[in-house]
Amino acid sequence: MDTHFAQRRRRDLIMAGCLTVIAALVPLFVKDVYVQNIMVLTLMYAALSQSWNILSGYCGQISLGHALYFGLGAYTTALLFTKFGVLPWFGMLAGGAISAVIAMALGYPCFRLRGHYFVIATIVIAEIALLLIQNWDWAGAALGIDIPVRGDSWLKFQFTRSKLPYFYFALALACIAWLVTWWLEDSKWGYWWRAVKDNPDAAESLGVVVFNSKMGAAAVSAFLVAVGGSFYAQFVSYIDPESVMGFQFSLLMALPAVLGGIGTLWGPVLGAVILIPLTELTRSFVGGSGRGVDLIVYGTLIVLISLALPRGLVSVFSLRKEAAR
Amino acid sequence: MTAPLETPLLETPLLETRGVWQRFGGLVANSDVSISVGRGEIVGLIGPNGAGKSTLFNLIAGVLPPTQGSIIFDGEDVTTLGAAERCQRGIGRTFQVVKSFETMTVIDNVIVGALIRNTVMRVARKKAYEVLEFCGLAARANVMASDLVPSEKRRLEVARALATEPKLLLLDEVLTGLTPVEAQTGVELVRKVRAAGITVLMVEHVMEIVMPLVDRAIVLNLGKVLVEGKPTEVVRNPEVISAYLGDRHAVGA
Repeated sequence: MDTHFAQRRRRDLIMAGCLTVIAALVPLFVKDVYVQNIMVLTLMYAALSQSWNILSGYCGQISLGHALYFGLGAYTTALLFTKFGVLPWFGMLAGGAISAVIAMALGYPCFRLRGHYFVIATIVIAEIALLLIQNWDWAGAALGIDIPVRGDSWLKFQFTRSKLPYFYFALALACIAWLVTWWLEDSKWGYWWRAVKDNPDAAESLGVVVFNSKMGAAAVSAFLVAVGGSFYAQFVSYIDPESVMGFQFSLLMALPAVLGGIGTLWGPVLGAVILIPLTELTRSFVGGSGRGVDLIVYGTLIVLISLALPRGLVSVFSLRKEAAR
Repeated sequence: MTAPLETPLLETPLLETRGVWQRFGGLVANSDVSISVGRGEIVGLIGPNGAGKSTLFNLIAGVLPPTQGSIIFDGEDVTTLGAAERCQRGIGRTFQVVKSFETMTVIDNVIVGALIRNTVMRVARKKAYEVLEFCGLAARANVMASDLVPSEKRRLEVARALATEPKLLLLDEVLTGLTPVEAQTGVELVRKVRAAGITVLMVEHVMEIVMPLVDRAIVLNLGKVLVEGKPTEVVRNPEVISAYLGDRHAVGA
């Protein structure tokens, strides 16, 4: 039984390695900038959803307010760079750290709430943060921040001529989020989180400090999402409150995980690979006002998946394995 | 950590409740309950429905603090400690309504318990497997907890609690609702647990099963300790009979 478990862990790692190599080679064949753009976004959402999955999937604390951390990451990096000339790399770490601290500060009251009340709290807090930023003149208020272009360099993390550096960074980000999840899955925290999700009372009786477990999950999750936000700010080089902190980001982080399999290692990746290209394509093919159409596609997919495969698309693979046994 | 109130000698009881009260609004669930459980004992906590057994259990396990009174465990006042901290001190428990981690495998359920003593995953996994063997669940280690039959789920509750290496194991109706054969297996498991040096306090409904098993029985009625003593004496006690069956039946005893 020990070997069975170790084998699965090793197989996951090897598979992730292979997929990374394949993904890294794709740009050699795909030169179309539009397609490359979609690939960057797909990888970014894979990373974001993987991070969201840590708090909401593994620990079971469904957050629909993660746009807050995404926006915090984006704003921290952009503000530090434009106002103080701090390199985006430090901005990323600072944004991550600020988000983690804020996640815990918010978790302090919110983790006393259970179920739907917690979800509602996360939505409301993110909306409040959005309003605050929209009215904060120093941070550009509703107009946002234009990140000045200072030439292509890895040091300033700006690239105008090619999308490839962004692509590889997004790939690295997705790998890191996946590896962190992989590592945490077989750690004290991973077990505690799943126990908290399944039954907090039983978990507490087995020595799990439920509150601290949730705080830990929130901090890790918020940190990684904020790094994603920092990346996004550099990638689009112009941010405004609605475009980095809007409610749709909270949804876009949650949906791939839900579609692929919430609380699973591969769910977010699988979900992002299917959902994000689909959205981008519907958006461009169904016309300019397509913002609604991609959400309709999402909604339909989610309804179909929850009806047919409540445990997400990854459950197809485990079902086949069980049948083969 | 609170300083020990007295040196934990072998003679001092492992668990003591001193004048414990629990009120839920106007309802008094426990009134002035003082019981003690010695090291290595199997003590049965019995009483009719609504006697306050489960409340007392929750007070001992640290689910809620008592309205009044104190709980001493292993020479330390644990009254203000939460459930997780009491588990750390050596109080393990099962739940009357089983609370398995349904989306996890059987062994993963037990690993959660084992992690409190050792956070190296390989060690915790090995420990969990040993506990499953002890409880006769090793064959089901990689099955999802949701796929277990009720009697197996009860044993999983015990296994999970044992993985935390408790000094005191609180069993909340683990033998209730089982077939006679399953109940007998359960009784043997409880004996094995005690043989491993773990003190057992069990709430149980079914007198025929509990009485031969326990060293001592404490009868609760209407939130108070009615009598306590050897099981053979307790079952013949007129007060106990009248509490269970009503006054008319106590006359003949």
